[in-house]
Amino acid sequence: MDVNQYLEIFLDETREHLESLNAQILKLEQEPEDADTINEIFRAAHSLKGMAGTMGYKRMQALTHDMENVFSEIRNGTMKVNSNLVDTLFQCLDALEEYTANIQETADEGTNDNQQLITQLNKYLKSQGNTQPEAEKAPESQEPVPEGPEEKWLDIKIGESERLVFSNAKAQGKNVYGITVCVQESCLLKAARAFLVYKAVEEKAEIIVCNPPANDIEDERFDLDFSLIVVSDCDLEEILKSARNVSEIEKVVGAPYEFEAVETLEPKEVKETETKPAVSSQPQNAPAKANDKKPAGKPVVNRTVRVDIEKLDVLMNLVSELIIAKNSLVSASNAEGVSGNGVNEHIEYLESVTTNLHESVMKVRMVPIESVVSKFPRMIRDLSKKLDKKMELYMSGEETELDRTVVDEIGDPLMHLLRNSADHGLESAEVRAERGKPEVGSIFLDAYQDGNNVVIEVRDDGNGIDVEAVKNKAIEREVITAEQADNMSEKDIINLLFHAGFSTAKTISDVSGRGVGLDVVKSKIESLSGEVEVKSKLGEGSTWIIRLPLTLAIIQALMVTVGGEKYAISLGSIQTLEDIAPSDIKLVQNREVIHLRGSVIPIIRLSEELDIESCKAPDENMTVVIVKKGDKLAGLVIDELMGQQEIVIKSLGKYISKCKIISGATILGDGEVALILDANALI
Amino acid sequence: MDELKVSDARPYEIVQERETIQYIVIKLGNEQYGIDIKFVDNIVRMQHITRVPKVMNYLKGVINLRGEVIPVMSLRLKMDLPADEITKATRIIILKLEQQGTIGIIVDEVKEVVTLITDEIEKVAYDGTDDRVNFITGVGKHNNELISLLDLNVIAL
Repeated sequence: MDVNQYLEIFLDETREHLESLNAQILKLEQEPEDADTINEIFRAAHSLKGMAGTMGYKRMQALTHDMENVFSEIRNGTMKVNSNLVDTLFQCLDALEEYTANIQETADEGTNDNQQLITQLNKYLKSQGNTQPEAEKAPESQEPVPEGPEEKWLDIKIGESERLVFSNAKAQGKNVYGITVCVQESCLLKAARAFLVYKAVEEKAEIIVCNPPANDIEDERFDLDFSLIVVSDCDLEEILKSARNVSEIEKVVGAPYEFEAVETLEPKEVKETETKPAVSSQPQNAPAKANDKKPAGKPVVNRTVRVDIEKLDVLMNLVSELIIAKNSLVSASNAEGVSGNGVNEHIEYLESVTTNLHESVMKVRMVPIESVVSKFPRMIRDLSKKLDKKMELYMSGEETELDRTVVDEIGDPLMHLLRNSADHGLESAEVRAERGKPEVGSIFLDAYQDGNNVVIEVRDDGNGIDVEAVKNKAIEREVITAEQADNMSEKDIINLLFHAGFSTAKTISDVSGRGVGLDVVKSKIESLSGEVEVKSKLGEGSTWIIRLPLTLAIIQALMVTVGGEKYAISLGSIQTLEDIAPSDIKLVQNREVIHLRGSVIPIIRLSEELDIESCKAPDENMTVVIVKKGDKLAGLVIDELMGQQEIVIKSLGKYISKCKIISGATILGDGEVALILDANALI
Repeated sequence: MDELKVSDARPYEIVQERETIQYIVIKLGNEQYGIDIKFVDNIVRMQHITRVPKVMNYLKGVINLRGEVIPVMSLRLKMDLPADEITKATRIIILKLEQQGTIGIIVDEVKEVVTLITDEIEKVAYDGTDDRVNFITGVGKHNNELISLLDLNVIAL
């Protein structure tokens, strides 16, 4: 066995700990006295140190060790949290993240010692008049080692041969220790932890007896504890410490092992009966301990399974195939006219099962956006210092769930919008004071579900978008001509911000405003089949609204025919279906429109857009699908309606990506390919 | 022992020197073309092709190949030959290319697989005046017939 197979667990856990450290330190800055937060931080730092140590990442261990010392001082109340200290701690976290990134790429932590950070940390420690050894003792004294009930190694029955080994070892001046290790109740991979402990102990000592046997431990056939009897030259404390360094270990206790000489058997019997009641008292003790170790409200046992995202993708593909197969069954039964023997009921049942299956798999793939947005408060804090503006980020709806692939991609665009708001949106403190706004600027990040979409809004109470400035800039950059500008609505001009190579910041800062950005944000979100729009009021602030579909792979669609060809239109964008007489079509500015329930809606003849002859005579009534994009409406003229269907979206591939009005293709029940019309692109 | 090893190695070296490539021979009109077999994923019969609007004329549309949607192009139109006449012999060759991914090309007929020795392939000099030369990397000879070897990266551009 090799430590490498635990690398993935290590990376996952390190990231989790770092994330929690980031959040907790931020909280600590706000409430420096909160004991729960400090304890949480201390625990995370301690686990990090232990994990790094076991995996042999010495530099990482050294840095976390010093961080832990600092946290321990804070916990003991001998050190106060101030903004400078928090800055240093954040730098440490960045350094740790760097190590983690290196480890992920090369399985090596890199060569950066971050000596500077370590010195800085130690300076804080010294300035408080505390020396390091004291700090190091702190965590140990915090966890007193009550001997007695945990000393399960006393239960181990040893045979003649082991006794001989012990005697020989004693004769050679070596020590014999008994050790019992308790794994945390919430530990997910007990066997892995046990193995790490086993390995850690093995480095320092020779393991003579293991209870339960090593094989059983490897197969996870043990409760929460296991005992070892070891022979070693080392100090007992040293061995115990290396075992404690493994994370998710509740406690490790040990003592010199007293064994009887080979001849005496009777006293051993007595000892066994003595220890038995002690053992039975253990279960009552353990849960109580576990409880006061964890903050209240957190479930003790985490009932989750980590699954590789690729496995979920495979599952999703299989569900897609199943839906295609179901669709072909439906069309086959329709074509053959088999309706006897309750075939239709069975098919309907199958349909409901596949729909439920699809929804369940979708739910499994959904993760809360929290994992992405949790790093933003820290980012805003950094920005606030860098830009010398006071600002506060308020987030809501972090629990809103999105498809995993979308969540992975949405981080950068959101970060860009937030930076944008911080840099361009919020005014400097003087201007804010002049305008009678509170000194601290506010940025809001709100996420919520809206029908089949998830909406994420980035809002600020800053300056808003200066339409005139945008217009002048656009003319200056030759994005539009002056004549064009005069004819453009305010909204159109604001949308110019998404044009490539556009930046209205007067000076280029390294925060934002390199002229690349909003267009990248837009294309990224569009590649996720989402859309972004902006609302702004000069002097009052602006709101960026990102709308993303809940699912990317399977949608409900309306199937239509145009000129004999089949097309799918996403049901999500369809407002209503209308039957319109040709005489109802009016011309406005040389464009065909219809007047429908008080609103004027432009008409798009799909046969023209798709370069195909319509099968319908010009004087026949037309079927019009009213689609909406944001608050814009349009009517798509089709030949015939085929019905509603669940379709699986397939990409057309890179080769045909130039066709804008087609967003993809789907395979129908009869195996034929139908194209999916992108109503957004048509409007 | 040492001698034996040397004599063993020699014939092996000779095989190595005379590198061969296998080509699938197809027909377009009266001409024969060769497609490097390592790019060929599959050969399927002509089937219904779903037209995609607003694309180049040689892109005939997309087909469903075992649940995958694959673009199909007409080799004839790409090479400025008269449009395809669909017969019983018409096939779609599915190519897997590194850059462009999977695409299908329509050919009049698939004849056979031939093995050509690299040395015997004549390279075609680049000629800017004739577009059609650009589709071809070389000309191979097999049974006294000439086979033009297609440059798939140019065709799939």
